[in-house]
Amino acid sequence: MYAEFDLHVPEDLDGALAVLGENDREGAIMPLAGGTNMIVDLRARSVAPSALVSIGKVPGMRGIEISGGRVRMGGRTTVSDMLRHGELHRIAPSLADSAGLFAGQMVRNTATVAGNICSGSPAADLVPPLLALDADVTLTSRSGSRTLALADFFHGYKQMERRPDELLTEVSWRSPAEPAANLFYKLARRKGDAITVVGVAVAMRVEAGKCRGVRIALGSVAPVVKRAIAAEEMLEGEALSSESIEAASRTAVEEMSPIDDVRASAGYRRHCVHVLTRRLLTRAWERLAPGGSQA
Amino acid sequence: MSDAQARGGANIEFRQVGRPLPRTDAPGKAHGKTRYAGDYVMADMLHAKVLRSPEASALLTRIDGSRARALPGVACVLTHAELPDRMAPTDIPGQTGRKRLDTDQQILVRERVRYHGEPLALVAADTPAIAEKALELIAFDLEPFPGVYSVEEALAPGAPVVQGTDNVVSTYKVRKGDVEAGFAAADTIIEKTYRTQFIEHAFLEPEVGLAWVDENEVVNIRMSTQVIEHFRFIAEAIGVPHNKVRILGSMVGGGFGGKEDVTVEIYLALLARATGRPVRLCYTREDSFFGHGKRHPFTITHRTGFTRDGKITALAVDMTADAGAYVYLSPYVLLYATVASPGPYRVDNLHVDARAVATNNMFTSAFRGFGAAQACVAHEQQMDEAANALGIDPMELRRRNFLRTGDAIATGVPIESAVWSDECMTRAWEALGERPPDRGPVKIGRGVAAYQQSYGRITWLHDTSEAWVGVEMDGTVVVRSGVTDIGAGQVSALAQIAAELLGVNLTDVTVYNSDSATTPLAGTTTATRALYMTGNAVRLAAEAVRRRLLERAAREFSRELHEVDVANSIVFVREQPQTEMTLTDLVAICASEGIHRSELVMFRAPFTDGIDAETGQGRVHPDYAYGAQAVEVAVDTETGEVTVLQSVGAHDVGQAINPDAVEGQIEGGTSQGHGYALSEELIYKEGKLVTPSFSEYLIPTAMDMPRVQSIILESRSGVGPFGAKGIGEPSLTPVAPAIANAVADAIGVRIPDLPITPEKVVEALASVGDG
Amino acid sequence: MNDAKVIRLTINGRHRDVGALPNETLLETLRGLAHFEVKSGCEKGDCGACAVLVDGEAVDSCLILTWTVEGAAVTTVSGLGTVDAPHPLQKAFIDRGAAQCGYCTPGLIIAAQSMLDNDTRDPSEDDVRLALSGNLCRCTGYTKVFDAVDEAARIMREGGESS
Repeated sequence: MYAEFDLHVPEDLDGALAVLGENDREGAIMPLAGGTNMIVDLRARSVAPSALVSIGKVPGMRGIEISGGRVRMGGRTTVSDMLRHGELHRIAPSLADSAGLFAGQMVRNTATVAGNICSGSPAADLVPPLLALDADVTLTSRSGSRTLALADFFHGYKQMERRPDELLTEVSWRSPAEPAANLFYKLARRKGDAITVVGVAVAMRVEAGKCRGVRIALGSVAPVVKRAIAAEEMLEGEALSSESIEAASRTAVEEMSPIDDVRASAGYRRHCVHVLTRRLLTRAWERLAPGGSQA
Repeated sequence: MSDAQARGGANIEFRQVGRPLPRTDAPGKAHGKTRYAGDYVMADMLHAKVLRSPEASALLTRIDGSRARALPGVACVLTHAELPDRMAPTDIPGQTGRKRLDTDQQILVRERVRYHGEPLALVAADTPAIAEKALELIAFDLEPFPGVYSVEEALAPGAPVVQGTDNVVSTYKVRKGDVEAGFAAADTIIEKTYRTQFIEHAFLEPEVGLAWVDENEVVNIRMSTQVIEHFRFIAEAIGVPHNKVRILGSMVGGGFGGKEDVTVEIYLALLARATGRPVRLCYTREDSFFGHGKRHPFTITHRTGFTRDGKITALAVDMTADAGAYVYLSPYVLLYATVASPGPYRVDNLHVDARAVATNNMFTSAFRGFGAAQACVAHEQQMDEAANALGIDPMELRRRNFLRTGDAIATGVPIESAVWSDECMTRAWEALGERPPDRGPVKIGRGVAAYQQSYGRITWLHDTSEAWVGVEMDGTVVVRSGVTDIGAGQVSALAQIAAELLGVNLTDVTVYNSDSATTPLAGTTTATRALYMTGNAVRLAAEAVRRRLLERAAREFSRELHEVDVANSIVFVREQPQTEMTLTDLVAICASEGIHRSELVMFRAPFTDGIDAETGQGRVHPDYAYGAQAVEVAVDTETGEVTVLQSVGAHDVGQAINPDAVEGQIEGGTSQGHGYALSEELIYKEGKLVTPSFSEYLIPTAMDMPRVQSIILESRSGVGPFGAKGIGEPSLTPVAPAIANAVADAIGVRIPDLPITPEKVVEALASVGDG
Repeated sequence: MNDAKVIRLTINGRHRDVGALPNETLLETLRGLAHFEVKSGCEKGDCGACAVLVDGEAVDSCLILTWTVEGAAVTTVSGLGTVDAPHPLQKAFIDRGAAQCGYCTPGLIIAAQSMLDNDTRDPSEDDVRLALSGNLCRCTGYTKVFDAVDEAARIMREGGESS
């Protein structure tokens, strides 16, 4: 291609971190995971790093482990890895659903969870389910690792917590205690391989007839993927009804700030936040407390 | 009346024709052996790139290629200053009899930029990367120049003129019967306006070619094109005799009309001559979005008078097309739209006013359906609107108005072949089966659409097609035809026809095609004409060879010609098949006796002189095809998402040469129709394209398409070989309006502007308070 | 930019040492080695025409930097079978009329093969649609492609060819 850069293909994590550690400014040396965003950006000249560090050969960064109630996913776990992991479908169906609707097969075989999160795109499809799962991310540099909530990772449009010398090496979360509902819906302008217009992930448990741990995470309707915190708070600890679900859905709309673009208008996106949040909350509640919905 | 006859009537039993044989081109494609134009390389080859205007309407006040020329590895930089003072012809290609319309276009911008992406300069360099770097080194200044970005703006008094003297670049009229009287006699008058959008061909193979100048100063161009006859236009653009340009067409990776005009040929020819080296130019996908004309957006108003029984008494149609920045094939698209404007219905009192208007949007040109598809979007929605208003079932309303063989179409000419609109519509509808129930917010809807689509080119172009068929000494068959194969099996169909008539298997036929220097010119692969024109030429040539060979065999057998047949490469007496000889032996006898075992034929379409400018009456096309689409959709009334559950295309193709290939066209045309209806739109803001890749311009994926059902009817009434008509364009034409009708059926309100996006569905529902 | 490096690849079973710059994509490398069956349709992962198998899994070669797949086994459509011994997918595409212009055909066959080898030999209709949603086809409407994949899958389940 036209863009020119140095390319490092280290054989281990220390090698990768050593190169990144030389990063003298933001964006000078960038990690290369699957490349499904990076190569496109390089070609479009929207990024111009002087060097790339491929993590494609770094061992220990790919795979999904479930133990002790915690799910741990290496940073360069691919979307197809997620789809092929039988357990994941059962314990994190929203993530599996999102993975199933992610781009096309070739991109799924290549794209990684770290790459998707670190794209910083509000349309990154894995992020709403991960937020709804209260996922943590681990950032590793030469000086060590730190783990923080994914909810604290995004500071603004394409502004993230990752320092230039860090790699996102792991995503993890606690498996939700059963019974739990964990739903995802991707609205796009066609069914296959499309950029999300509105993405909604909803998670909740029910304990003693009350909604617990409700999470509403929305993509493509704000500068970052974000949770509708106020809407969640309205429902936390409540027995849900169609009125309370409706009210929370309207509140979720207030918390988002969608834009007009070639795919949809802000008004339509707001409408869909309302409709889809309501739909998923209703479905989740009916699954966990069937017949418990008050008229 | 032939309408009511059962299909058939053929008194020969086909052996090759009509069988779903694997196409001759299929193995090469499945094994990755087929070479497309971009798969050729030559020693010392240069790589070319095009510098494009970032503005839609501007004055080029300065352009300086000197820094680019100085870059090591750059062989040539061309701006308008280095070009001969010639223009690029853009009129309808491959015509020979008529004077070309005066619509020639600048090859590179001289002073006026008229559309976003218009080429400013050409570069040829040792590598694509150097060529791309060189583009950045070309300095230029653009001064904003007032532009017009919609037909409304272009028609406003005092509007800037895009080119020439008038933004109206073409008009057509029909004045047939007495619309005043017709409207007066109507019990109900329905009036509505329908809109369609800019559409991209989205062929998977971008435009590409490789050119070199040989020892005879002939400019050779290996090219992905639907038209090898462009050698004439190229020769005139670069200023050489016609016999000094040769086009070697490759298998085309999708055309759909987007490779019907000249694309990269002139740039290649200029660069090859300027550098003396071979030059390859392969468009990126982004180039391709700017590199060929798009489908015309149309605004079409129908005003239709009906009796209370649903008979059309009068129809007034007003059509406006956005021709974009250059005329290209706009006049012809407009004509086709005019002819198709009433649809497959008998309209004795018809008034049509149509115009194509220039704007500074991307220029528009040929796209499968060529105006008739846009017309169908309007006339079929109008029929459903009327059915709704009249309280008559939509199919019944159509039945009461369908043309019959012998009725006059919009231009006053009687349709001579079968009009099986009703059979097709009914079969398509029946194939939908039982209607599923609505489920919560998801509503089911069904719709049909019927069409009239011409096949064969405009008759006043005096269209011809030549073909050569011969039998080799070992009994294998060769066909030579200039036809370009753009993926629908054009070549395989010719082989199948030759195999049928010469009594060999399909695998015994080799077709050499698509070389303007050595294969007889077949004319364009456009206008659903390849089977009609070139199929007939091959048929006639093969029949002539067959006759000569079998006459000799008959003498050998002491029989009459009609008693002798050939099949499986054996010549035999029909009633006494043990009296036989091999085809090889027969050919040996003929060769030694100087009997000509090949034939070159020219097939001529009907030649006419043009229609009346005032009334629009007169013959326009050789014949028309009829059929219908039936569609079932599910509409999520909360999100507006539309899912097509079933899609059925039923078409009278006259005679299917290869039914699998016909199905393939129906399935593919349906897919393009789905995109046209629901997800595809090129969006220009102040003339600038904001959807420049496949991430924004969304064609249907495997997850979007249901399994398409194809119903093939064969009236054997067409003017193509064995009574064939055509399917290339007809397969697309009824699809989008059928979907529009199905959505309206589902939600109870019509969205008259394509594409029917989820957002429009939500808005439409909100506007009727179903929110 | 770093100098070109020699990258060892196995392509359709044949060992190749290729000199490549860091910014060279696998698509560029393959076509530079005359593997013209690998097609370029968009160069940004939208269309799937450039799909090849890397260590048995389908990827868009336009999105892969060649240096990152050093040592890999790359398979193109030509490597799946021959005219005399076609892969079941190749035979099915021919028999079912699943190729029209044929430009997307190599990528589709690769994507289908990847699904059949890595995910399921008994795909449901939804499985096939999902596996192929990254391969745009403008000619066929996908119906005969589905037919061909179903037929090939059946043959492969019954113990016919594997990759």
